[in-house]
Amino acid sequence: MNLQIFVNALVNAALIAPPAMAFSLLFGVLKFPNFAIGGYITLGAFAAYTFNVPLGLPLPLATLGAMLFTGFVVWLAHVWVFKPMQDQSAVTLLVVSIALTLILESVVRLFFSADVRGFDIPLERPWKFWGARITREQVEIIACAVVLATGLHVLLRHTRIGRAMRAVADNPMLAAIRGVDAAKITALTTVLCGAIFGLTGVFAGLDLVIEPLVGWNLTIPIFAAAILGGIGSPYGAILGALLLGLAEELTILVLPSTYKIAVGFVIIAIFLLLRPQGLFGTAEIKK
Amino acid sequence: MTEAILSVTGLRSGYGRTVICDDISLQVSAGQITCIIGPNGAGKSTLLKTIAGVVPAIDGSIRVAGVQMAGLPAARVAGSGMAYVPQEANVFRALTTHENLAMGGWQDEGRTQAARDRVYDMFPDLKPLARVPAGNLSGGQRQMVAFGMALMLEPQVLLLDEPSAGLSPLMVGEMFETVRRVNAEGVAILMVEQNALQGLKTAHEGIVMAAGRIAMQGAASELLNSADVSELYLGSRI
Repeated sequence: MNLQIFVNALVNAALIAPPAMAFSLLFGVLKFPNFAIGGYITLGAFAAYTFNVPLGLPLPLATLGAMLFTGFVVWLAHVWVFKPMQDQSAVTLLVVSIALTLILESVVRLFFSADVRGFDIPLERPWKFWGARITREQVEIIACAVVLATGLHVLLRHTRIGRAMRAVADNPMLAAIRGVDAAKITALTTVLCGAIFGLTGVFAGLDLVIEPLVGWNLTIPIFAAAILGGIGSPYGAILGALLLGLAEELTILVLPSTYKIAVGFVIIAIFLLLRPQGLFGTAEIKK
Repeated sequence: MTEAILSVTGLRSGYGRTVICDDISLQVSAGQITCIIGPNGAGKSTLLKTIAGVVPAIDGSIRVAGVQMAGLPAARVAGSGMAYVPQEANVFRALTTHENLAMGGWQDEGRTQAARDRVYDMFPDLKPLARVPAGNLSGGQRQMVAFGMALMLEPQVLLLDEPSAGLSPLMVGEMFETVRRVNAEGVAILMVEQNALQGLKTAHEGIVMAAGRIAMQGAASELLNSADVSELYLGSRI
């Protein structure tokens, strides 16, 4: 087994872990699996592309702009689409979120066509070490993912707002009884998660390509990582992403790489059958 | 009779168009324990939820220390000198004991440290459990966390919805002892109890609810000795 498999798995995990954490966080406060994340990620990638290529901003600034833009769009989607439907069942909201992803992708296609694009960054040779290769962008993606995961940990565990986010996710009624403005905390969570989806769009544009389906192709792996770690558990999502990344890379050893996308589905199926609460979730006993 | 800290007049509430509680008037005096008993479906829990702002009041007035609370949402009622402990889901299961107490002090973070120390003094058993998620605690320990969280902002009146529900017989006695201890600190208590006998024995005042209205009210000792109450709610005691 060579080192390249682990490098690729790590890059995959770095790409999947932040949005899987955001997906889990969003599920915690909104209580439905939001499949619009594919559309949000695509939007983030194209927003960063617009800032970077036609407008000529350096990539770090374009990334910041894309994060703000996607955060705003996700908040808007919450206020205009999901909040008015909050009394509907989770399945209804899931279907609505799939529709929203299709709408967002179509809008992107309308303005940018289905052409494959890339950021305006200099081409560099990959670094080589012990027979493995890694690009500068991939190292940056891993570093950003580590910083982001650490930042989210500090936010959730050691700040007043983070504690309120966890409290609202855990028991929104009790949070209101204790004086927390649950609507405000939910809105803040959507903006934060939106910014993370925007950043994922940039990562995907760096590691893969920028095209209207870029977000949709990441949706199943993100969902699989979140389920693997225990949906609603942002920390579980990190481990879920690492295991998924490794599983995808190991599959390539025995199967053609076109089957890689199936790994997410298989993991979802296995976990929903055998351990629906995931690795970190707690089993609920219905009385 | 001492001064009323909680005063409810002509209160009506319910869900949608369905009226559950009607024409409720009651007073809770400062430092007193008042226990509401009654059959299932009498509207006891809905009454408590309405006073706490969880269920909106349709009509009537709710005053805490003279300040009108009717019509305010739960988040605004919190920190008004009144704290509500729901019957179920009354702790944040994913948060530690320490964090649960911090959430109790959400509206006045500056007081959290001192308030938490006070709660740990009152419930010393909670201190070793500070870092344990509330979801991993026993029913009795969770009830203590729920009480502690409600006491963080030093309320003048505490609303308890069936505090003994779901506890083992041994824990029920301890729980009523805790209610007395909290009351001894000067906190008035309005509690709903299915365990009518223990509830009335603990309380100073008693209220009997039936079909959404107050059927009887008076000193808890009088209700305990009332033939009607004994026959209907206290089982085979007499």
